[in-house]
Amino acid sequence: MAEREELISAFSAQAQALGAEVYRASSPEEARALVKRLIEATGVRRVALASSPLLAPLNLALVIEAAGAELVKGSLREQAEQAEMGITAFELAVAETGTLVQDATELDTRLFSMLPPIHLALIPVKGLVANLEEALNYWLAKGEIPGYMAFISGPSRTADIERVLTIGVHGPGRLLIVLLGEEEAELND
Amino acid sequence: MTRLREEVKKALSCKRVSWALTRFADNYVVAREKAYAGKDFAVLRQRVAQIKEETIARLEELAEQFVREATRRGAVVYRAASAEEARAYIADLARAKGIKTVVKSKSMATEEIHLNRFLQEQGLEVVETDLGEWIIQLSGQRPSHLVMPAIHMSRQEVAELFRRQIGVEVEPEISQMVQLARRELRKKFLSAWMGISGANVAVAETGTVAILTNEGNGRLTTTLPPVHVVVVGLEKLVPRLADIVPILEVLPRNATAQILTSYVTLITGSVPAVDPEGNYLPQKELHIILLDNGRTRMAADPVFREALKCIRCAACLNVCPVYQQLGGTFGAVYTGGIGVILTAFFTGFEEAAQLQELCLGCQRCREYCSANIDLPGLIEELRRRVVAKKGVGPAARVALAGILPRRRLFHGFLKTAARMQAPWVKEGKLCRLPFFPELTEGRALPPLSSVPFRERTAHLPRPQSPRGKVVFFSGCLIDYVFPGIGEAVGRVLAAMGRELVHPEGQGCCGFPAWQAGLPGTFARLAQQNLAALAEIEAEAVITACPTCTVALKYLYPEVLKGDAEWAELTRVLAEKVTDFSSFVWERREELLPFLAPIREKITYHDSCHLKYTLRASCFPRELLLAGGAELKEMEPAELCCGFGGSFTLKFPELSRAILERKLQAIEGSGAETVALDCPGCLWQIGSVFSGKTKHTAEILAASLKYPQAP
Repeated sequence: MAEREELISAFSAQAQALGAEVYRASSPEEARALVKRLIEATGVRRVALASSPLLAPLNLALVIEAAGAELVKGSLREQAEQAEMGITAFELAVAETGTLVQDATELDTRLFSMLPPIHLALIPVKGLVANLEEALNYWLAKGEIPGYMAFISGPSRTADIERVLTIGVHGPGRLLIVLLGEEEAELND
Repeated sequence: MTRLREEVKKALSCKRVSWALTRFADNYVVAREKAYAGKDFAVLRQRVAQIKEETIARLEELAEQFVREATRRGAVVYRAASAEEARAYIADLARAKGIKTVVKSKSMATEEIHLNRFLQEQGLEVVETDLGEWIIQLSGQRPSHLVMPAIHMSRQEVAELFRRQIGVEVEPEISQMVQLARRELRKKFLSAWMGISGANVAVAETGTVAILTNEGNGRLTTTLPPVHVVVVGLEKLVPRLADIVPILEVLPRNATAQILTSYVTLITGSVPAVDPEGNYLPQKELHIILLDNGRTRMAADPVFREALKCIRCAACLNVCPVYQQLGGTFGAVYTGGIGVILTAFFTGFEEAAQLQELCLGCQRCREYCSANIDLPGLIEELRRRVVAKKGVGPAARVALAGILPRRRLFHGFLKTAARMQAPWVKEGKLCRLPFFPELTEGRALPPLSSVPFRERTAHLPRPQSPRGKVVFFSGCLIDYVFPGIGEAVGRVLAAMGRELVHPEGQGCCGFPAWQAGLPGTFARLAQQNLAALAEIEAEAVITACPTCTVALKYLYPEVLKGDAEWAELTRVLAEKVTDFSSFVWERREELLPFLAPIREKITYHDSCHLKYTLRASCFPRELLLAGGAELKEMEPAELCCGFGGSFTLKFPELSRAILERKLQAIEGSGAETVALDCPGCLWQIGSVFSGKTKHTAEILAASLKYPQAP
């Protein structure tokens, strides 16, 4: 799967150039250990976790607890306001632009990826596509376009004062991306 | 002095704006080039243009499809014919829901309809959340740039503004101020009941709106408040969802040299929300206002419909030499050249009629346009319509419509002026012009020549056995101010074995009349010159002025295309017309053996018409290099000298400010000589540059091994 590896390295380079931090986990165990390390390293205490079929098998609620943080409680708004880190899942990533693509119609996904100062994004490597056109074709092929689609490239940024690039104005100031890889494909390469 | 010129002078006195805009512009060109690495801009913008052309052709049909699809997905779509209707709809909606607080993400359409002021008058609290827009709102100013509204303010000014308006002490340190904005605006987001946004694209096929932002305020505005209102101009429609791809590829690259904005949000119909009290709403309210406000009228106009292709990337502002000096003064709600055109349809013809004068016609904007819009052509058309409606001023009427087409009168006038200028000429330079003292302030202009070129042709060297005959169209500046250029052309061509013929009946090419919006006068001059030039059978018709070349080659066929009598003649002439440097470059083998090495450090100045219309600015460079010159490129390249023909008479201070920037670039190159191919640029640059300013023909002629023809 040389092609996939090329997409991964192109995506990582571009996302990092935009100020995102990119990590990779090749198994669910590695993913859990990585998320734990990232929570510990950032020092966050309150984490909001969006529900998602992709995240469910990882059982991240336990990982968050094991990392010494807690899952925020209350209404979705309260959770999003209190959390220092939001964790959400993405379906696609665009290599050329370093962009993550997400159906953010569900409110928890939308709020947890927007409000907390740190956003931890998980994306399966099989969701990597080469360019924006392929990403859009994926959704077009699925039928109706979701109600709220988010394309995210790097952390929130502004250059409105004196054209000086400043990270983290309204959205997250840090974007941590975890690529969830499939081992067998890479070993055969 | 006109009101507009007063405003220009005021804007020029605010150095901060031009400093910020020029610094940005210089970086922009380089960064944009990088952002297009691996992409073909020409192909991409052609795709954008095709999509938008389809939109304009099917505007009503697409609008109806959009309404159907968005409604099916749970949105409420309102088609507002006017600004009043759009404003009233939003105010009524807020009133009906008992809403008092509104957050907004950046939207030019809402600026266009002056929404904020209206809602505030209705007692609503309206907060702009884009950092730049918020700063502008707090300061009570108006945005100075489509994409970067507060580009004209310094960090100190912003810190002072925050202290005054929010009552918080903050250091003029940008990251601290950004964090302050985050905290302050987060409160507003969380308590607002209505969010208002614009949209960059509206997709008819799916009823989707696309919003591009970097800060994330667009996402918060469209997610947190339980009511979301989108105000989007009809021209933002595209037929299919797949059509957003080329727009996503061009818009951020052209706007801010980004490969993509941090966030692209596609909203299709109603989605869940939680209101500020924590209540879950499975279906939030989404209202989309499709704004006409002059757009349908624009689509019906055979010429100006082209402006509806604009995707508001603001590249045309970023590269505009006038905008770089004036900022928001060049334009109204929408700024720059495109702003002038949009103003004519969205706001009022009168305002646009004034503003169009500020375009100096350099054509650089067309090179960068996301949708391949011929913006300089649209401004010319607007000027023609202004003149058709209001006429030109009395001075222009006498000079352009009265004197210019009467060749003998015009040439007699110039000869008289050449005699009468003596009291103002010192050491071969005009030092203080009567009537136009601003033009000579701090510089020395070349005077009219006492012997025009047309009286010097008898002394031109002639090849003994000519290889061919070339007709020379000299143009006014070479004929009456710089006859030396004409003589240099004659010497170079003689060395190449060409006999130079200068038909007596030729006059002004007419460009000043064309530029002033007088196509009738221009057509008369075109016919006179065509008649004079057609008399002689020649290999080529050459000029040493790119503007004359453009007039003869492109504008004569355009202005006479409906005239059967002249159409064939213009076509034949257009094929034969070429500029001096292109002609020589194509036949360089015939010249190079006669050239001694040019031992000069030269920097080459690109004339607008040579670079952007004739696309020939590489040829003089190649010629100079082949002749042995050391070429030092300027940084930044592509700066206009600010001449612009009558522009320099109408706005001498502005013309001078643009020239200053050019001068810095020239001096920065370390060259001793500026080479150029345009006598207009020579007039302008030569008046301030302390080194030598020469036409390419003069440099070549001075290096001829045999000053007399072999």
